Amino acid sequence: MRYIGRRLVHAMLLLVAISFFSFALLQIAPGDFFDAMRLNPQISAQTVNGIRSQYGLDRPFPERYARWMRSLVAGQLGFSLAYNSPVGPLLRARARNTLLLTGTATLLAWLLALPIGIWTAAKKGKLGDRIAGLATSTLLTIPDILLFLALLLLAVRTGWFPAGGMISSGGEDLGAWSRIKDVAFHLVLPALGLAVVMLPVLVRHIRSAMIDVLEAPFLRAARGHGIPHQRLLWRYALPVAANPLISLFGFSIATLLSASVLVEVILSWPGLGPLLVEAILARDVYVVVGVVMLSSIFLVAGNLVADMLLFAADPRIRVE
Amino acid sequence: MTHRHKLWAALILLAGIHAIILFAGFFAPYDYAAQDREMPFAPPGRIEFFDASGELHIHPYVSIPRAADSPPDVAESAANPYHVYRVRFFVRGDSYKIAGLFPSRLHFFGVEAPRRAYLLGTDGFGRDQLSRFLYGGQISLLAGVLAAALCVSLGIFIGAISGFYGGWIDDLLMRGGELFLALPWLYLLFAVRAALPLHIAGWQVFLLLVCVIGAVGWARPARLIRGVVLSAKERKFVVAARGFGASDLYLLRRHVLPQTYGIVLTQMALLIPAYVLAEVTLTFLGLGVTEPMPSWGSLLSSLQQYYVLSSYWWMFLPALLLIPVFLAYYTAADALQERWKSVSL
Amino acid sequence: MTFISNSLVVVRGLGKSYTRRRPISRKKYLVRAFEAVDLKIRRCSTLALVGESGAGKSSLARCLALLDKPSQGEIWYEGRSLTTLTKKNLFPLRREIQYIFQEPAESLNSRFTAREIIAEPLRIQREGTPVEQNERALALMELVGLSPDGADKRASEFSGGQKQRLAIARALALEPKLLILDESLSSLDPANQDMILALLAELQSSRSLTYVHISHDLQLVSRFADEVAVMHEGKILEQQSARALFSCPVHEHTRELLEAMPALEAILEELSA
Repeated sequence: MRYIGRRLVHAMLLLVAISFFSFALLQIAPGDFFDAMRLNPQISAQTVNGIRSQYGLDRPFPERYARWMRSLVAGQLGFSLAYNSPVGPLLRARARNTLLLTGTATLLAWLLALPIGIWTAAKKGKLGDRIAGLATSTLLTIPDILLFLALLLLAVRTGWFPAGGMISSGGEDLGAWSRIKDVAFHLVLPALGLAVVMLPVLVRHIRSAMIDVLEAPFLRAARGHGIPHQRLLWRYALPVAANPLISLFGFSIATLLSASVLVEVILSWPGLGPLLVEAILARDVYVVVGVVMLSSIFLVAGNLVADMLLFAADPRIRVE
Repeated sequence: MTHRHKLWAALILLAGIHAIILFAGFFAPYDYAAQDREMPFAPPGRIEFFDASGELHIHPYVSIPRAADSPPDVAESAANPYHVYRVRFFVRGDSYKIAGLFPSRLHFFGVEAPRRAYLLGTDGFGRDQLSRFLYGGQISLLAGVLAAALCVSLGIFIGAISGFYGGWIDDLLMRGGELFLALPWLYLLFAVRAALPLHIAGWQVFLLLVCVIGAVGWARPARLIRGVVLSAKERKFVVAARGFGASDLYLLRRHVLPQTYGIVLTQMALLIPAYVLAEVTLTFLGLGVTEPMPSWGSLLSSLQQYYVLSSYWWMFLPALLLIPVFLAYYTAADALQERWKSVSL
Repeated sequence: MTFISNSLVVVRGLGKSYTRRRPISRKKYLVRAFEAVDLKIRRCSTLALVGESGAGKSSLARCLALLDKPSQGEIWYEGRSLTTLTKKNLFPLRREIQYIFQEPAESLNSRFTAREIIAEPLRIQREGTPVEQNERALALMELVGLSPDGADKRASEFSGGQKQRLAIARALALEPKLLILDESLSSLDPANQDMILALLAELQSSRSLTYVHISHDLQLVSRFADEVAVMHEGKILEQQSARALFSCPVHEHTRELLEAMPALEAILEELSA
């Protein structure tokens, strides 16, 4: 229990530090949202400054940070200048979409990778393993940006799938079940893209983790005892392989979040990715900080969950 | 294939690719910024070995669809909807500078002026995609290599200090590294990029990108190197040298850091492609190098538009050319990882 | 301040302890490697430091060799107190006290050539030009019985016994007076052990060297030691001449150690001869 408590405190401190640094980073950024306005000769400098002080942009840094932290706790996360609304609610919808996408992609990827990884580990060196190895190596060499663009090309040329977006136009008017089907239909390409990007790395790691376990002395001894193959795999090998696999899950969250930015932009999925890029280009400071913080929260939370799973799954950690 | 064969194959491929891109001026038939307003979104020319009258030859010809209002050349039949031009090698063309210094007009191949052959088609401004790919490679690959070098250098510096001296410096540096690792890499990159001026151009933005991409990723190599330094500094031969009165710098230079060469090489092989992709992604999204500097990212950015994908699919071809580059790097990284895993330190 | 003129090294009240933390609770606790050690090492003699594993012999040896700093006590070398010297003042004294490790494979950087290994102390102490350093390295190789043709071979290409010779050659490069050998013979087979012992004996007389030999092998020790000190759980139990120790040990623990030795009778015969 103390282990979990310590990890929790550590995670919180980390997040506070990140919030401070990302806030500071964005404050030192030159130029701001009102640059375009400043260039307009019809708007006087006083007006611009007036608007700025209205939003509290001319206050000293510690005060702004404190106000932002307070708004963070209130769920507001500062104010978006471009959307003219608090950042918090803006992020909520986008974050939900991103979670939907990444969650689906993760599920898909692991559902595919686990059987492939376990099977190729069991058939190590044989033809099936070699073919799978070649396939994963090939997939690995394709940069994800290419893959996503290829999917977009596919959508545009064949029309089998919608070329982006989350809902069809006029989709809000449909009934609940139709809406779900509509969203699911739009979800296919981005989720597939993300899953394919994750798949080769997952398969490789699962395969090597399984091989390590399958070649371990204790397993060979069990095999020598005549324990049937299936039972060996499920009751002996997998629980031991769970440790590296859970760690793998923790690591893969970071790459997943990064890759999701790109797929969301290319396939126009309304998640955190496109929002971030827009906000950067528009210098909408609080949105950028908010998105960065949120992504970091996801990552840290994901790793924390992985740690706890590890704690539950691996008795060695509890004894240490 | 043993890792040695793999490594050699990958290195040869890499050398070839880099040589071609280094001499992009020579291999590219046209300048990357040269616009052909009459031929926007021209489809790729086809390589054939038949000339306009249908005779077979040894040397290649390129056939380009004729624009509707363009008259047939002499010796071409009016019914033929294609221009067919003989491809010549080592021709004189637009002038360029080798390595930015020596002017030259020699190109690897081309067709007789004033015709132009676009092997990969042209973009919306009529710029030759093949030339833009080759010149773009100069920017993107250079960015990746420089950023990776910067990152690994930072990693060596910080990892060596952290591992060698331990204590509060180690704690501080590793906690700092945790901060960097707690953010998904692309978000961190974006955040740092966002903090820097958006509207600068030319070499400044290139340098800026290199610094940002390289500096952001120091934590992982630093950790790896710290690990090696930690174990290396306890080795008996280091203790022995210390017993002779060796200074810390001597120990690091002669005994400890040489142990990190394997990790450094593998990290470089992994980071270069990753950072090339980082530059490509940033430029693709509008956060990287800007026109008129060519980059693989700007080559790809037009692919986001619906009308391009539906009507001008060949714009996708340069993207496919990226695959051998990354294949070579990843194969090299694989081979290096295998090699250093099998050698016990 | 009095010191006995034929003692090269005098150790008084030396102790070393270090703090460790428990892994989960992070509580500190003290580990005492050795304490209250008094030793006198005579010139041109061989002192054997014996005891079972964990008795603190290696820690003591490292402090004597200036590889570690003791926590308490003093070391006097040639009448000078080593423990109070600054790092800069200690630098020239490092040449006179040298240390030979147990595992030659570990103590030599396997990527270095034999030449580089032997010349390294000369480089670090900035003695002589590179040409002179090279010549000395080759001369030392011959001295320890290795052919100078192998000077450019990497350390990993030598056998165990040859590596130990390289280590000895390296230790001799700076013309030391005191050589501390920490279980240096334990990893060698008997034939190599004999060869190295013969080499060491010859070097002792030709170069007036003083040896401190750490070992847990009493049988081996009986063949070359002039004096023996017995360590147990971080403390020196007794220090006597070899003959005296083997024939009438004072401490009960020493008696136990001797009883565990197989050929005690033969050894006693040899010693009294």
